[in-house]
Amino acid sequence: MFVPDKDECHKTAKHQTAMRLDEKSFHNYIGAIEDFDVNDPTQFINAHYQPKNYYQGCFQAAFAESQILMLQTNWSPIILFPRTHEVWFDGDDLELRELAERPLNHKTLKTEMAVVPEDLSTMNIAGTLDKIQNMDAFLWKLACWASKGRYPESIEYNLPVYLKSWPNFTRLLITPHALRIAALLIQRPRSMGNLAQALDIKPQYVFVFISAAHAIGLVDQARRTADNLVQPPDMPPSKDQKLLGQLIGKLRGNEA
Amino acid sequence: MSQYKIIFTGPVGAGKTTAIQAISDVPLIKTDATPSDMTKLRKPSTTVAMDYGIVNLADGEKIHLYGTPGQERFDFMWDILTTGGIGLVLLLDNTRADPYKDMWFFLDAFKKYIAETSVAIGITQMDISNKPTIADYHDQLQISDLNPPIFAVDARVKNDVSLLVQSLLYSLDPILAE
Repeated sequence: MFVPDKDECHKTAKHQTAMRLDEKSFHNYIGAIEDFDVNDPTQFINAHYQPKNYYQGCFQAAFAESQILMLQTNWSPIILFPRTHEVWFDGDDLELRELAERPLNHKTLKTEMAVVPEDLSTMNIAGTLDKIQNMDAFLWKLACWASKGRYPESIEYNLPVYLKSWPNFTRLLITPHALRIAALLIQRPRSMGNLAQALDIKPQYVFVFISAAHAIGLVDQARRTADNLVQPPDMPPSKDQKLLGQLIGKLRGNEA
Repeated sequence: MSQYKIIFTGPVGAGKTTAIQAISDVPLIKTDATPSDMTKLRKPSTTVAMDYGIVNLADGEKIHLYGTPGQERFDFMWDILTTGGIGLVLLLDNTRADPYKDMWFFLDAFKKYIAETSVAIGITQMDISNKPTIADYHDQLQISDLNPPIFAVDARVKNDVSLLVQSLLYSLDPILAE
């Protein structure tokens, strides 16, 4: 006989449906990058950022630990539960965005942030399970805000990247064209420039997707020589492209 | 005018009827009956022939949404329903005893149809049972040549069902304009 997980039912933030950003809302939500023109192709190759210079890097390092950790900053405390792949955060997205987009000063970081091991038996979060988020959804957002439309420095702009599996889009922040990028990239490795060209979209939408998917381990550089030499042919366009496009439009209009 | 169909399948209680209801423009046509088998332990009524909904498009075209009955003894219906379809939405209930077994059963049953079209998988009831995880399902599929969209889905939520169907359509053609 199946016994429901009563705690899981109360983790409402973890199971809430995705927020979708169109091109207009993306800029309001993610913000702009100073000193970088997203419309200038000559600047694309330099449109990268270092995740370790943002809180994204700190969280990724902390998530890699096996014990429960509390990150204390000037903002609300954040508790990481590596075993259950969850994060407890008593704040809103606005607060998290401020934290995520702020470049770190490594000289003062130790005074600004403390990482403290926590003991589950002494912790009292039973009444606040609604503040628990999925770790991937949390990291995905942090990466979007840190990236602001740039790509991680560890990814080579001109070399192909691959997508290991589709992101769980119903529970993630959906950036512009993210589903199309995933659908194309899952077929075979491609460079970021090639993705933008094939989909006829601004590279910054590819960059932010790559940043977020890379942060949760779904995207990486294709290192095999074969990935650069042997390129399977693209799928032919659907014969029902017009109709399927209409259906997509209808479904998007239907989104709650 | 052509018949465009999307097929929703999956085991009993996975949320097929609810998911079709979430995106259909018309009230669902259901063929429910009171179950006489083990299904009665999970729900008071179940689909015995098919569920049917419609998405109306601007120029008068219609997308027909068909839900298959979940019980295997109705599998003779599945071939009839899939003929000429656009693709398959497979819904799996995470609270069932062996959701992997369910997944393989339906992927195998619709193997030919999936090869000709595409599949998107929605995992329901993850707010009641969080294991297996979405990553676990992807790991399971590594032994196959499939790498489909697999999303956590609340079948009652239009946005969840809509995103799953969109992922199916983009799998068929990523170039489709948004």
